[in-house]
Amino acid sequence: MGKLNFFVRRTAQLVVTLWAVATALFMLFRLMPGDPTSYIVSPQMTPEVRQRIIESYGLNDPLWVQYLRYIENLATLDLGRSFNTNSEVSEILATYLPNTLVLMLSAFVLAYAVGVTLGVLTGWYRGSRFEKSTVVTALVGRSIPSFWVGILVIWVFGATFGVIPLSGMTSIGTEPEGFVDMVTSLDFLHHLVAPMLVLAFYYMGYPLLIMRNSMLETLSEDFIDICRAKGLSERAIMFRHAARNAMLPVLTAAAIAVGFAIGGSVLIETVFGWPGIGREMIRAVMRRDYPVAQGTFLVLALSVVLMNFVADLLYGVLDPRVTYE
Amino acid sequence: MAMLEVEDLKVYYDTAEGAVKAVDGVSFEIEEGENLGIVGESGCGKSTLAKALIGILPQNGYIAGGEIRFRGEDLTEAPERRRRELRWDEISMIAQSAMNALDPVYTIRQQILEAIEAHHNWSRTKSQERIDEMFDLVGLDRERQTDYPHQFSGGMRQRAMIAMSLVLEPSLILADEPTTALDVIMQDQILKRINEIQEASSASMMVITHDVAVVAETCDRVVVMYAGEIAEEGPAAAIFDEPYHPYTLGLKSAFPNIREADQDLVSIGGHPPDLHDPPTGCRFAERCPMATEVCSREDPPEVEVGGLRSYCHHVDDIDTQLRPVADRAETWQNTDAADDRGLADD
Repeated sequence: MGKLNFFVRRTAQLVVTLWAVATALFMLFRLMPGDPTSYIVSPQMTPEVRQRIIESYGLNDPLWVQYLRYIENLATLDLGRSFNTNSEVSEILATYLPNTLVLMLSAFVLAYAVGVTLGVLTGWYRGSRFEKSTVVTALVGRSIPSFWVGILVIWVFGATFGVIPLSGMTSIGTEPEGFVDMVTSLDFLHHLVAPMLVLAFYYMGYPLLIMRNSMLETLSEDFIDICRAKGLSERAIMFRHAARNAMLPVLTAAAIAVGFAIGGSVLIETVFGWPGIGREMIRAVMRRDYPVAQGTFLVLALSVVLMNFVADLLYGVLDPRVTYE
Repeated sequence: MAMLEVEDLKVYYDTAEGAVKAVDGVSFEIEEGENLGIVGESGCGKSTLAKALIGILPQNGYIAGGEIRFRGEDLTEAPERRRRELRWDEISMIAQSAMNALDPVYTIRQQILEAIEAHHNWSRTKSQERIDEMFDLVGLDRERQTDYPHQFSGGMRQRAMIAMSLVLEPSLILADEPTTALDVIMQDQILKRINEIQEASSASMMVITHDVAVVAETCDRVVVMYAGEIAEEGPAAAIFDEPYHPYTLGLKSAFPNIREADQDLVSIGGHPPDLHDPPTGCRFAERCPMATEVCSREDPPEVEVGGLRSYCHHVDDIDTQLRPVADRAETWQNTDAADDRGLADD
């Protein structure tokens, strides 16, 4: 009962949040300088043609009418058509989002697997040289801009040694038959490696440092003393007790970070010419392609809000103390 | 041979400001089936002592000297593997605060089972029977084994802790402030329970506390510690009825006594010395109303008096000079006054 109630309440919150985000986006784009119609109508057109095109997009209606139509369309998952290519926004998203997800999630999984493990070890071996050098590396990875590392990697390994492709997701000339076929091809993995590692290096610092801090806190708890007094092995104490407890804040942080990571893909996708949603968002903004820009922003906002939701649920599963009263 | 013999044990902590001499040359014994109380104020080294005995000193803590002989085997020399075998199986502990002594993400049953599995290859049924037995013993409902610690009240958690500490039938139980986190009624229940269980199991126990009442209720013999050293040691009755060390007298006056209705509670003025650089001579000298020049110059001698082992230069003067005024607050407030009373050096 408590659980279901919590779920319903949390879902309602989710919907309200998304509505607020959608509204903010609507306003934001209308407040931006520049006239979007200048991109879809050309000066050579006759005034009647120009008027007809503007009307066909509904851009001559008062703002509140546009807003109501926008919300109505959103509710039916109709995100409109691109001003630029006239294709469905949902189709554009469906094309680019998976590319971003593959890159982000693979980098993310790697970063969290390595980061959390190193966090456990640095917490456990506090004061050792291993701890110091690992923490410094994590801080460096966290502090230097990932796009700069990306450019450096492309320059050294791509341009100088030629071991990685310079740009893109597949080689020119390869024609993968569908998404699954592409993702499982060696050519794709070859393209994936560099941006994934650069991203993973950047993401890694966060879970590592949180995990380390959390470990230090957990290790000072009385129950760790009792575990040792029980004659458990060091490994059992380190992983089964200390890491298991220290993990809780990291998981929440991770779920939220996934949401932000998708938005943070913009720079890396641009540097590595990765045809993902981040790069598409930039393009759309440059072109004043409202529907596409709105669509991409919505997806990003949705991912943040959704992952927060997941984090909340996850916490309840992992921590027996969390109740849904 | 006593079951546990601690001889001239020194336990130090490395800190940025140098070594902290938390336990500095402590010797005592625990016989089979005996209850020994370790009493002293916070920071006197009593918890460190327990951690050293069971071998769970923190990273910066180490045994700087002396021996811990458990049934003749020197634990300070034993390899880690052997020490781990002995933990819980032979020497177990009841933690200071039951609130945090259980891992919050595992059920009570899982945690007790874990202790069993670390030492024995018992069958599932045997382990379960044993856990059931323990739950009955400490007066917890068997049904609640699968509860998480947060679902237990403070008193229940402490019972669960006791059940866990007894599950392998250890020879020695180190109880570090077993009742501090509990309310008075629960304290009483837990202490009674501990006494009953102990009588039934013939295990020895070392009860560490700053609460004189707890020791009086549970212990045969008492060691009074001050600033990392033993101040006085002897049978519980003698320690509380007629102690000879000024510190024990002060400690005794600092605790309420149910039998003396309008007793003034006194507090001993001043603070324990800094254990980075403990003072020479008697460590209690600075706060002691009996202190004279010799006290801060020479280590106090070990004196056998009234069935006690007491470390004080002025044991002979206690009966005449301190005991009559020990329950007066002003005795302990102005420690410089000792000189004015014209006490002569030994």
